[in-house]
Amino acid sequence: MIAVVWILVGFIALILTWALYIYNKLVTLRNDVKNAWSQIDVQLKRRYDLIPNLVAAVRGAMEHEKTVFEKVVAARTRAMAASRMQEMAAAEASLTSSLQGLFFVIEGYPALRSNENVMHLQEELVSTENRIAFARQLYNDLVANYRTGLEVFPDMLIASAFKFLPFEYFSAEALLRAWNPDKFAGYERRN
Amino acid sequence: MPITFIDIERQKSARIALLFIFLIVMYFFVTFSVFFGVSFFFTPFMMREGLFSGPSLLSVGVIFLLSLFIAACHFWFSSTNVVSSIMNKLAALPPDPKDGLHRQFLNIMAEIRVASGNKAKMQCLVIPSLSMNALAADDLKGEAVIAITEGLLSRLSREQLEAVIAHETYHVLSGDCRETTLATSLFGMYVTFFEKMRDFSDDDRRGDLAPSFLPLWTLLKLSELLSMFISREREYRADAASVRMTRNPLAMAEALHLLSRNWTGGGMISTGLEMLCIVNPVAGSLDETEGWWADLMTTHPPISNRIGLLLRMARINPATFEKRRQDIGGPESTSWVPGQWVGFALDVKKQWQGPFSMAELVTLPWLNPQTWISSNSVQQAVKASEIDAVRDALTERFAADPPASSFLVCPACRQPLREVAYEQTTALQCDFCGGLLVDNSRIVRIIARRAVPCTERVQALARAVLADNQRAATMRQLKKAGRRSMAGYTCSKCSNTMFRTFYSGAYLIEIDRCNICGFTWFDADELEMLQCLIENKITSRIGTI
Repeated sequence: MIAVVWILVGFIALILTWALYIYNKLVTLRNDVKNAWSQIDVQLKRRYDLIPNLVAAVRGAMEHEKTVFEKVVAARTRAMAASRMQEMAAAEASLTSSLQGLFFVIEGYPALRSNENVMHLQEELVSTENRIAFARQLYNDLVANYRTGLEVFPDMLIASAFKFLPFEYFSAEALLRAWNPDKFAGYERRN
Repeated sequence: MPITFIDIERQKSARIALLFIFLIVMYFFVTFSVFFGVSFFFTPFMMREGLFSGPSLLSVGVIFLLSLFIAACHFWFSSTNVVSSIMNKLAALPPDPKDGLHRQFLNIMAEIRVASGNKAKMQCLVIPSLSMNALAADDLKGEAVIAITEGLLSRLSREQLEAVIAHETYHVLSGDCRETTLATSLFGMYVTFFEKMRDFSDDDRRGDLAPSFLPLWTLLKLSELLSMFISREREYRADAASVRMTRNPLAMAEALHLLSRNWTGGGMISTGLEMLCIVNPVAGSLDETEGWWADLMTTHPPISNRIGLLLRMARINPATFEKRRQDIGGPESTSWVPGQWVGFALDVKKQWQGPFSMAELVTLPWLNPQTWISSNSVQQAVKASEIDAVRDALTERFAADPPASSFLVCPACRQPLREVAYEQTTALQCDFCGGLLVDNSRIVRIIARRAVPCTERVQALARAVLADNQRAATMRQLKKAGRRSMAGYTCSKCSNTMFRTFYSGAYLIEIDRCNICGFTWFDADELEMLQCLIENKITSRIGTI
């Protein structure tokens, strides 16, 4: 009789240890995701601060390209005002594409390309764009990681008991960075 | 299996312990052979005295303890300050935040840090060399460094550089670079010492090494076995990790391709550091071969294999890659539209530049109120200050950004020098004679970069000057005058005499150098000529004089 009790106690202790381990693992994963999200935020702020400088630096030389500026400024305002994740992802995507339009236009002005200040600002913005993309890539990877942690059996029992909620991906577009056909333009596919 | 990059486990490598054991064994053999060599020498004497005994257990034990002690000392001394001593050897410097390309390097480091989850704390350094290579080093104290040569920095595109830095970052993050660094430093000191000895004996024409260097030679040969510890696989892994971070296998393949086609620093990066580099700076016969022997004896996998694997990741045919690579770099287009106001401006070299639209003209960095402008609206050339639109723009520009003039004066004509942008870094220029005063640390950068192509005029001039100087130098040598450095201008900064010498034995362009302040003065066109000579690999030929 006593042996049975001991076995039962041992079994319960084992379950508790396992639950504790899974719980801690999930908390760690969740914090990683949160941390990655705050990184995206930092980089987005950096971009919002840089855009007005670049626009001011090139505006004088590019009077005919008003629409490009307006697009960038409007996209920036929209992105800063966005609150929901999906809304924000969409606004950021349009800001990125309008900035790419601006870079493209700048390329056409040799005088601007030889201007130290403009080149500096452009480099900073390109770098920020990359940092945002990388931060987003990291965030999505971590969300995928966390979601797997939530959904595998039997960890999902702990996850649902303690109400761990899944995070949304930043956008589907970020995942496509892994295979971007534009990047390989000019190459023939192997298959 | 970790899904993301950031949770790659740092393998606490058992290999560092393995290295230590290797060291003990090595010292054991050396001490053993020295001990018995000496005792063999004294054998007749000891036999007579009745002291001779064979290798007893006690003596072997003593030798073992001795070698343990020496190995411990060696390990201790060579694992402290490894990174800084390696970087001193390469004369690597921290990037200059005022320099365009260096700033880009710093930015890319920050980007990769974001991609790797802000885990790695790495210093970045630039090696002032025209060769193309990159290396990572990390020691037991956790001081990690990524160093890139000026040549690589200037010739890779942004994406390619990103891939290379991600590759090096992986070496640091995964910890494999730590054991490589340690291995380098453990045996590097013998290699250096041995090379010095060899140089020394060559100089004195004493033939081969004295027999007293035999233990040293043994050590060196043993240390060559070290490459067995360094697996080729780690380069494949780092390439793959770079792709995982940047999601751009093509850029990595292109970077490797460029590296394989250029000077990767053989002779500059000293022996013993090759395993830290992204590609082997010293080409060996086994480099591009496979099989267990090549795997064992080399530190880097064949580059063709690495590129092949990357192309497979990008799903690109190697033949297409080769074709495409040659197409890169088309002609540049200008934004000039007929019918608009078009102006030409006379630059500081007294050459007309243009055509510019008004908007472009006012952003020219060298435009000042005294610049001559000719346009399609006015018949005669006028000063920039006489055109209203330009004057307004210039007033605005000077109000916002006063020109950076320098307190230094031109060594040739004593006019104040002006700071100008030159190949994405800065130099001090004299507007009067067109000469340039350049900080010595920036010369390599300027030469490595090719943003401004050299004109036909400069090229013709460079050839003529080179032939002329070659003749003069040969004449001097025939007269046994030897190399001489002639006193020339006085330095702008310290007022000491600057010495006039040739830039190098191959590139005979006269320069004036102040050895105290570290400045070099180039007369008008001299720097362009030097760049042109080095870019086009024009050297003096004996047959042409």
